[in-house]
Amino acid sequence: MYRIRFHGRGGQGMKTASRVLGSAFFHEGFEVQDAPRYGAERRGAPMNAYVRADRAPIYERGIILRPDLVIVADDTLVPIPAAGVLQGLDNRSVLLIDSATPEDEWRKRTNIGGPILVLPLPDTVDRSSLAMIGIACAGAAARLIGVISEDALEQAVRDELAPLGEAVVEKNIQAAMAGYAAMSDHAGTVSEGVPAAASGAGSPDWVDVPVEEVRLSGPAIHAGATSVEVRTGLWRTFRPVIHYDRCNHCNWVCSSFCPDNAISVAEDGRPVIDYDHCKGCMICVVQCPPHAIESVLEVEAAAAERRGSA
Amino acid sequence: MTDVHFQRMKDLPSTHLLGAGTAMCAGCGGLEMIKEVYDVLGENTVFVNAAGCMTLLSVYPFTPFRGSWLYTAMASSPAGAQGVRDALDILKANGRMTEEEDLEVVVLSGDGSASGMGLSATSGAIDRGLDFIYLCYDNEGYGNTGQQTSPESPHGARTATDAVGPGNIGYKKDLFSIWVANKPAYAATVVGAEPLDLARKIEKAHELEGPRLILSLAPCPTGWGYDPAHTVEIGRLAVKTGVWPLKEYVDGKVVHTRHPGKRTPVEAYLETQDRFRHLFEPVRNDKVIAEIQARVDAYWAEVDVDDGTKA
Repeated sequence: MYRIRFHGRGGQGMKTASRVLGSAFFHEGFEVQDAPRYGAERRGAPMNAYVRADRAPIYERGIILRPDLVIVADDTLVPIPAAGVLQGLDNRSVLLIDSATPEDEWRKRTNIGGPILVLPLPDTVDRSSLAMIGIACAGAAARLIGVISEDALEQAVRDELAPLGEAVVEKNIQAAMAGYAAMSDHAGTVSEGVPAAASGAGSPDWVDVPVEEVRLSGPAIHAGATSVEVRTGLWRTFRPVIHYDRCNHCNWVCSSFCPDNAISVAEDGRPVIDYDHCKGCMICVVQCPPHAIESVLEVEAAAAERRGSA
Repeated sequence: MTDVHFQRMKDLPSTHLLGAGTAMCAGCGGLEMIKEVYDVLGENTVFVNAAGCMTLLSVYPFTPFRGSWLYTAMASSPAGAQGVRDALDILKANGRMTEEEDLEVVVLSGDGSASGMGLSATSGAIDRGLDFIYLCYDNEGYGNTGQQTSPESPHGARTATDAVGPGNIGYKKDLFSIWVANKPAYAATVVGAEPLDLARKIEKAHELEGPRLILSLAPCPTGWGYDPAHTVEIGRLAVKTGVWPLKEYVDGKVVHTRHPGKRTPVEAYLETQDRFRHLFEPVRNDKVIAEIQARVDAYWAEVDVDDGTKA
């Protein structure tokens, strides 16, 4: 049985990617399960989607704990524990990351034993269109698995995206095929894991937690606005950057309309963006009267920041 | 009486009370509105939250508020508000809380709760003359669970439960008029995209006592299908096209606070959102677009363009 887990952020098309891969498996005669799994959070927040495929009926249910292939569409998710990207990877699991960081660096950072591949997408894939990254990942996964033909992949994209119109379908097929071609040197790298059986399951690694009084385990919070401890800036795929030479210090526009209270006005009248919390909605970019706020790809902005501090 | 008066945009606060770091979607029109409302109401506010998108505002131990938040089931937030109001009144009567320390009790609910399953509890609270503000973020669907059709979904909109064919065949329920028919202390419609109009109405509501409704359109990038950057533009278009009339009920009559003399055609609003795309592609559906326009026109035909009152 193949067990594949896609990791991305809400809005990056990972649910669609898992559906497309599932349909492609189906066209190759497999039994398939595919399902997205969300936390309580939203667009921009970590999510995953999984696919199981087997020639025989599938009796396994629930989340995939021991994946054969993990695909990461957003490399900023890897260090986030809640995203669970590295969960259950062993020495034969393949990790595919869409990233500008090279493979040996990921090897050092993650300290995992299995194959690590970085997805080299050609420039023809529109990286600013987030859904295109998802579909390219589905194509790459299909090639890595090695049992899915280009025809099955194309048919799967048509099946899943037909309601969106022919132009969208063609653009997605192009991106899926770009992902498929990018992995040609690694076709068939992913191997099938053995089906799990209840008889072989060990006892769970439970940790006994002593019962505490409520006032210790769930103390009352006597502070206001504790939500600032949650760094929603990690959701961002684009970053608003203020060009102060063009800002006319109007005070209220960007700060008033920011839903997340991530723009404050300093005493000198300059608006300041709190990147720890800005989710990258870009309302400020659209609303700024003198167009003083620019939208920059987060990965590029972060890279520029690192160069600046080095 | 508060000493803040919102005459110009510059009078709006440049620092805000609501904490960052909530789990709401990027570009949430509901959160934008709550942030603006909270600045005017101030820290002495207790929120009674009906289950909905805003359930995720306060997840222990994190809260964006400076004060208390009470969570209730979807249909019972006005009952929760009654309990909080009674407790505060008892504390005041016993001398354990001063008038200055008193809190404004605010129900925070989505449209599914406000106009659907929670309407019965609201009705009871109005009957009892409960001193509270009912703040509704209307994102025109059960947004928290994936935008299923709610009583406030507009005609023709596609939702998770009307995903194909003509979209929602029903019509948006008129919650404002339901409240007004019961002569509340105050009722108003607002939208986060018009922060000055909103601030004036919240200030007015805050100074009154009794059942008060603040009904806000809450543009929803996730449920309506548009780029989150356009939340404010879409809110403004809802006003300019007349789809979302800005009005208030005070002293026994309804007055429009904006009465666009020359309204933008509704299609300028509709075509910004994926939920209405089927009215334009692959074949333009003139019949439905004209029907939506006619309903908006019929509404405004009854509004006096000079003083904004409605017949």
